[in-house]
Parts: sequence; structure tokens; C-alpha cells
Amino acid sequence: MQQLQYIKPKSLHEALQYLHEYAGQAKPYAGGTDLMVQLRAGERRLAETRYLIDINGLAELHGFAMKADGTISIGAATSHSAVSQSALLQEHAPFLCAAASSVGSPQIRNMGTVGGNLCNGSPAADTLSPFVALGAEIELHSLRGLRSVPAPDIYIGAGKVKLAPDELAVRIHFSSAAAYNTAFVKLGRRKALAISRMNVAAALLLEEGRIADARIAPGCVFPVPGRVPMAEKLLLGQTPCAHLFFECGKAVAEEMNARTGLRWSTPYKQPVAEALVQRALCAAAGIAEEE
Amino acid sequence: MVTFSLSFTLNSAPVHIAIEPNARLLDVLRDQLGLTGVKEGCGVGECGACTVIIDGETADSCLVLAASVAGKSVTTIEGLEQDGILHPLQQAVLDHHALQCGFCTPGFILSAKALLDKNPHPTRNEIKTAISGNLCRCTGYMQLIEAIEDVAGARQEG
Ligand SMILES: Cc1cc2nc3c(=O)[nH]c(=O)nc-3n(C[C@H](O)[C@H](O)[C@H](O)COP(=O)(O)OP(=O)(O)OC[C@H]3O[C@@H](n4cnc5c(N)ncnc54)[C@H](O)[C@@H]3O)c2cc1C
Ligand code: FES
Ligand code: FES
Repeated sequence: MQQLQYIKPKSLHEALQYLHEYAGQAKPYAGGTDLMVQLRAGERRLAETRYLIDINGLAELHGFAMKADGTISIGAATSHSAVSQSALLQEHAPFLCAAASSVGSPQIRNMGTVGGNLCNGSPAADTLSPFVALGAEIELHSLRGLRSVPAPDIYIGAGKVKLAPDELAVRIHFSSAAAYNTAFVKLGRRKALAISRMNVAAALLLEEGRIADARIAPGCVFPVPGRVPMAEKLLLGQTPCAHLFFECGKAVAEEMNARTGLRWSTPYKQPVAEALVQRALCAAAGIAEEE
Repeated sequence: MVTFSLSFTLNSAPVHIAIEPNARLLDVLRDQLGLTGVKEGCGVGECGACTVIIDGETADSCLVLAASVAGKSVTTIEGLEQDGILHPLQQAVLDHHALQCGFCTPGFILSAKALLDKNPHPTRNEIKTAISGNLCRCTGYMQLIEAIEDVAGARQEG
């Protein structure tokens, strides 16, 4: 592994100073579960990295909070284990807990953080899909100030995120989805082929038995993360049923082909995307997949 | 070469040691501190042979920067035996013939210990989840699950 210096700042301000001073050469170190693998593999994206800034001691990056207006925030350095076990999140964003508890293994979930998951720039980041469905905003800090990036915009291409080298993700904000029925479904193991890492986060708002709002966020399906307004619209005003969700799955797969273009992987991905969307919607609505 | 001066608690005893700032916890434990019960299987977080407990939570020491455990408490398999008497989990693994080559065993036992410390009476599913980050290539998992259940059951009665 390359020569590295380890720094553990005592305050957020100090962390931002280091990221500023060593911009381009410093990387935040959260759980290390992506970083350590990449450093050992000598990945090019870390060729310039000389300093690891351990952000685990920073209070602002930890814990859960809910404001009076119902907005919830999670510290970026919160582990997947903590997210999956949070009573607050189980009530207000259960599919986020499900996504966090699907990550890797217990050891990986104890170490790995949601901030690291979002900032690593992997299209297969499992928590990204529920964050997209929740309309989450990522609060970024630097010495230059503070800004907010919507979750779907953080990932801009393989290994690339919309994050300046001196910026730190501090908290992730979203509104409660307690009124929604949510589900997260995922296919495949991490080490399997990349194309089998698809997942879907779905949230349905039911009013008097009809779908009043629908949010569908597939992961690893589109070139960049995002919801699927075309397919969501099909559901509005309808009564949940397996056939409707099947049609909706087909609409998502069509949208995938429109956004990605036909590829060698399309014959495989298309039926998988269809089935995963249907499965997520059925799980959210609490109905069986077969009629 | 800049070194990092690391102080932490290892198997209940304080340790002060000079390490390289980019060292993995796995290497510091094995090569500098001689704790070879910590195994390196895959080196990328997939197999769990390098599992240790850090402040009550399991971690893959192949993915942990050693410097980051400053001030923390680390438990390895060497810390389980007390006064020459094996930890109940260690004894149960022997009694159930739950090992062949033994390469995976320390990691399994530590995952099980972390579970039982938090949840003394786990269900079989909770046991399966707790050891899902540990791979065994020769013995299989049934004997291990039964060994863990045995210890949990014994605690329940006692
Ligand atoms: C065996 C194994 C299995 C895995 N399985 C899954 C899986 O099933 N699903 C999944 O989604 N992922 C999986 N991962 C990937 C990884 O565990 C997750 O992406 C994890 O959430 C990364 O978080 P971390 O805290 O460990 O990140 P780190 O490795 O510490 O950091 C990752 C990147 O993000 C940057 N970063 C971290 N925190 C911040 C911050 N607050 N602000 C700005 N930048 C930051 C770092 O500088 C680095 O570039 C797996 C990894 C392994 C090794
Ligand atoms: S050696 Fe660490 S998980 Fe395999
Ligand atoms: S006993 Fe050999 S790997 Fe488990």
C-alpha cells in the first residue's frame, strides 16, 4: 500500500481545514470498507491520496434527529448496523433499514457507513435507492460553505461523485415516509457480475385502497440514479394488484432501454428489472406476486 | 518513515506500539503483536477469517486501518481463554466437532461471542445472520450453529 498519513481531527472545522489544506491528497476515512479495498488494489482514483482523515470522532456526523416539521436527518458516519436497527428509521423509512441490513455481512455493516456508501461512487450502493425514493438531500460542508445535493445527483458515473475534494458529507436529510408502505428488494451478491446487483426501492401511499402517490427508485438500472415518473404515473388512482405492478415493471424496463440504449446486457437486465419492480411493489402493498 | 504511535486496549490489557500509519489492523495484530489466531483469508472483507471485536462490534481486521483503533478495545481469539480454561464457545466448538482445518474458527467464535454478549438467547435465524460474514470451506455450518445454540441454551438454563 502507498505511504499514507493518518489524521484524526477533533472537530468538524479541523476536518474541513485538513481537507482544504490537502485538497486532492486527502480522503475522508469512515468505515474503510471501500477505501481499504481500493488502496490495497492500488486503484488509480487514489493515486494522489497521501492523507486519510478519520471522520469517526465527529459528533455532527453521527446519530439520528427528527425536527418538528417531520424532517429526519442521519449523520453521514452512521453505520449500516445502526441504521438498520434504528427505531426512528424503522417507523419513518423502513425500506432504508432494509437496504442497510442487506449490505455485505455483519462485519461490513458494523464498519461501513451510509455516507461512505453514497460518496464512494458505486452505482450499486444499496442505500442510494431508498434515499432517492425519499427525496433525500445530502448536506455537504467545506471551508467555502455549505450546500445541499439531492441524492440522485451525487452519483455522476463509475467512481465519480458530485463532491469537491475539500467537501465532506455531514448529514442526510429527508421527510418522513411513515404514511407510505415501502419495500426494498435486491438481486444478487456483490461479487457476482455487476449487472446482477440491481435493486429497487418502492414507496406507495394508499388512500381508501387506492394509490395516491408512488415512488419507484431502481438501483443499477439507469446510467444515473433516479425515479421513474412514467411508470409511477401508471399507478396513480389504481387499486394495488399483481397485474398492475407487472405492467409497471414493464414500463420501468422500457424506460431503462430508453435511458441506456440497447446493450449486450439488455436481454438479461430487462426481465430482471421487470420482475424486481413488480416484486418491490407487491412487497410494499403486501400482496402476493402471483394472481 | 513516519510512524504512528498507537495506544489501545487489546484483550483487556493496554498496548502502546509504533506502527506504520497505513498498516492494517490485521498485520499489526499478527506481525507486530504475534496474535496469529487472526487469519488472513481473502484480504477483501469477504471471508471473515480476520474477524476481531472492536468496542463490542465485529469487524474484518483486513479492512481496518490499525491507527483508527486508538483508544478502543480490541478482542481477538487469544483473549477468550481465562486462566487456562477455554471460553464456553471454544469448548462447544470442540465438543461439536465444528472444525477441521480450523482456519475459519477464530472468526466464527468471535462473531458468535459478539452476538451472545448482546443477545444471550438468539434464535437460529439470529445465529445464522450473526455468522453470515464468516465462511468455512471444510466443516460446514451445521455443527457451528449447534455449538452456538448449545452455549446459548446452557446460559438460558444457568
Ligand atoms: C465484502 C464487502 C461487501 C459489500 N457489500 C455491499 C453491499 O451489499 N451493498 C453496498 O451498497 N455496498 C457494499 N459494500 C461496499 C461498502 O461496504 C459500502 O459502500 C459502505 O457503505 C462504504 O462505507 P464506508 O464508511 O466503509 O466508506 P469508506 O471506505 O470509509 O469510504 C468510501 C469513500 O467515500 C468517501 N467518504 C466516506 N465518508 C464520507 C463523507 N462523510 N463525506 C465525503 N466523503 C466520504 C471516502 O473518502 C471514500 O472515497 C461491500 C464492501 C465489502 C468489502
Ligand atoms: S481476510 Fe478479512 S475478510 Fe477475509
Ligand atoms: S474448518 Fe476449515 S475453513 Fe472452516
